[in-house]
Amino acid sequence: MADKGNDPAVIWQTMIGEMEKGFNSFANQAMASPEFSKVMNQVGGATAGAQKQLGELMEKYLVSMNLPSRAQMVGMAERIQGIEGQLNEIKAMLHQIHHNSLAPEGGYGAARPPRTKRPPSEGEQK
Amino acid sequence: MNAPAAALDLASIPERIQSEVQRAIQRSIKGVEYISSSGPALGSTPKDVLLSRGTLNLYHYRPIADEIYRVPILIVMATTNRGYILDMVPGQSFIEFLLKRGYDVYMMDWTAPKPEEKSLRMEDYVLDFIPDCVRRVQQDSGETDVTVIGYCFGGVLSLLYGSIFNDGPMKNLICFTTPIDFREMKLFSNFSDRRYFDVDRLVDSIGNVPPEMILSSFEMLRPASRALSQVNLWENIWNDEYVKAYRMMDRWGTDTLPLAGEYFRAITKDLMWDNKLFNDTMSVGGRAAKIADIKVPILHAVAEHDHIVPYDAAKHLIAKVGSSDKEEVILKGGHVSVVAGANAIKRLWPKLDNWLGKRST
Repeated sequence: MADKGNDPAVIWQTMIGEMEKGFNSFANQAMASPEFSKVMNQVGGATAGAQKQLGELMEKYLVSMNLPSRAQMVGMAERIQGIEGQLNEIKAMLHQIHHNSLAPEGGYGAARPPRTKRPPSEGEQK
Repeated sequence: MNAPAAALDLASIPERIQSEVQRAIQRSIKGVEYISSSGPALGSTPKDVLLSRGTLNLYHYRPIADEIYRVPILIVMATTNRGYILDMVPGQSFIEFLLKRGYDVYMMDWTAPKPEEKSLRMEDYVLDFIPDCVRRVQQDSGETDVTVIGYCFGGVLSLLYGSIFNDGPMKNLICFTTPIDFREMKLFSNFSDRRYFDVDRLVDSIGNVPPEMILSSFEMLRPASRALSQVNLWENIWNDEYVKAYRMMDRWGTDTLPLAGEYFRAITKDLMWDNKLFNDTMSVGGRAAKIADIKVPILHAVAEHDHIVPYDAAKHLIAKVGSSDKEEVILKGGHVSVVAGANAIKRLWPKLDNWLGKRST
């Protein structure tokens, strides 16, 4: 076997690992400062503000182009979601009916595994 | 003294060169394969959707054991991530492990809240979604008792639920890497410093908090790791097992969910700013939620090298619960690997089975 200490692949891996740890540690120290929080949130706040203004502008543009606005699309999405929910309810009911029809006279519960399992005794191999 | 070792090194050089050349060729072949193929199918353990309500899905996994424990399990997944982290692929699936060991498993999983769901509040999660799912589990299983397992923020939701509904039907509680002292999540705490972070403006402006923001705040905790993981991927792309594991974790890690705006506002103000859960001043929908009111058996699994929920943020949970049957287990690994990696298969899952089996009859 080759000496792992001299193996270039191992040296490379170790170097990468150390570099990662060092950079993460350095960055974490920098990010723990209140100044970092201030700058990060100023930039983040400005971006969110710009995003909101852009959204409003786009909505006006879409209305002028006779295209559905965001609010209208959200309304449509709500209706579709409502329909999806009802379909899921119907699917669940059909599923239940199907299972019940397959179940023996004792009912569907009898088709499932019995809830009688006990934990293995101490030292028993599982 | 060193001569034999040096001779051995020299003798191994041709072999090592050959090995490196082979790997270089494999990298080129596998690199093309990687780009042109998709990753393994995740979350494929057979299940039925019992309930779908907007952002919430309740799954029931089909039992595979001939005999199951009396008490069903309800898993509450973290609201920032998808539940398939607990059901990766056969052989690396916590769900599959539980089913094989004879548990009846249900999971509350989340999809991205839609724009109209921005008004979902903490109350909706704790006083409506979880109780509704518990009721469905009771109806479906025919059992009154339910064991609740919460992962990360799913653990926080489970604690809030258990504190408020402390007279049942939760029989056991298991938390994975669950923070309660939010001051100790130092970087998150700094990112959301109330002097500079205007959460009201953010939520009022954009509604739901976008997944990119959540993901970048996670990635900022280890800023070099993302880039260097690509380097490591290239180094190991000849290794199918490494690539498979990388793809699973990478897909899950980037599959971050947005957070409902009002819910995010409550998390920021009540937990990040006022640390109410730790200070015993938390309330949800006007109902006091004190951890000390939880009296059921509880197991808390924490990771030694968790960079998202550091041990200091999680360590007070066991001391603060009112249960007499309580245990904390500290395991090697990080925030994700402790529940879904090789460490989990060897350590956490058998430990959990050993603890829960006795309490599930």
